[in-house]
Amino acid sequence: MNSVFKALADPTRRKVLQLLQAGPMGSGELAEHFDVAKPTMSAHFAVLIAADLIDAEKQGRTITYRLKMSVLEEALLGFTEIFGLQITPKDKTNSKPAAKSAKEKS
Amino acid sequence: MSMNARKLSTLVRGMCIAAALLVGATALRLLTPGYLSPDLAHRLLLAMLGLSVLPFANVIPKMLPPLVRLRGSPAQDQAMRRFVGWSLVLGGIGYALAALFAPLDMATGLACALLGISLLLAVLRFVWAVAGPARE
Repeated sequence: MNSVFKALADPTRRKVLQLLQAGPMGSGELAEHFDVAKPTMSAHFAVLIAADLIDAEKQGRTITYRLKMSVLEEALLGFTEIFGLQITPKDKTNSKPAAKSAKEKS
Repeated sequence: MSMNARKLSTLVRGMCIAAALLVGATALRLLTPGYLSPDLAHRLLLAMLGLSVLPFANVIPKMLPPLVRLRGSPAQDQAMRRFVGWSLVLGGIGYALAALFAPLDMATGLACALLGISLLLAVLRFVWAVAGPARE
């Protein structure tokens, strides 16, 4: 459950989940909605996959992601959206979270 | 999670829920009429039954019925699984709430009606996804 909370704590990942609620999407199609580098996007996808919230399916050269959330997890996503659970700074939601935290540590 | 681990987890979950229902029903029987009125015991038993639906309904959207995936579009498949999961979860919650708070003479009927409607909606949505017109 910890991994689910970790995944839902980031606004970019929440936005990915919301986009996937409409149906499965390719990685490129999803990345178009965000102003972030590809590796950052891949890291976000990896966190979501580790939390078992999405599933990746490789078709040729493209990877299609589809939602894999239980009802409770969807309800949690709704609550986090409503109450604005946010660990990354609000004004930099689309910045590179991993790179930023590494910079802050050094 | 591998297929065997998933099957084992489903089996263990089912057995835990069955055990909890048996223990709960036995506890209610032992506490009635000394500590609980028969009416309250009846309501609690119904609520327990309603809540026992939740663990199963909750994971439905995570499961992947291969037949539906082959037949319809992935988006339709996903929408169907989400609908079925939410419908049954809300039906289970409705059953428990009706059993607990509705007037006693209509509590059982109302609870069954709520869960029945949610089950019917889920089945109709599933049938529509499997046998309905194929979509892109």
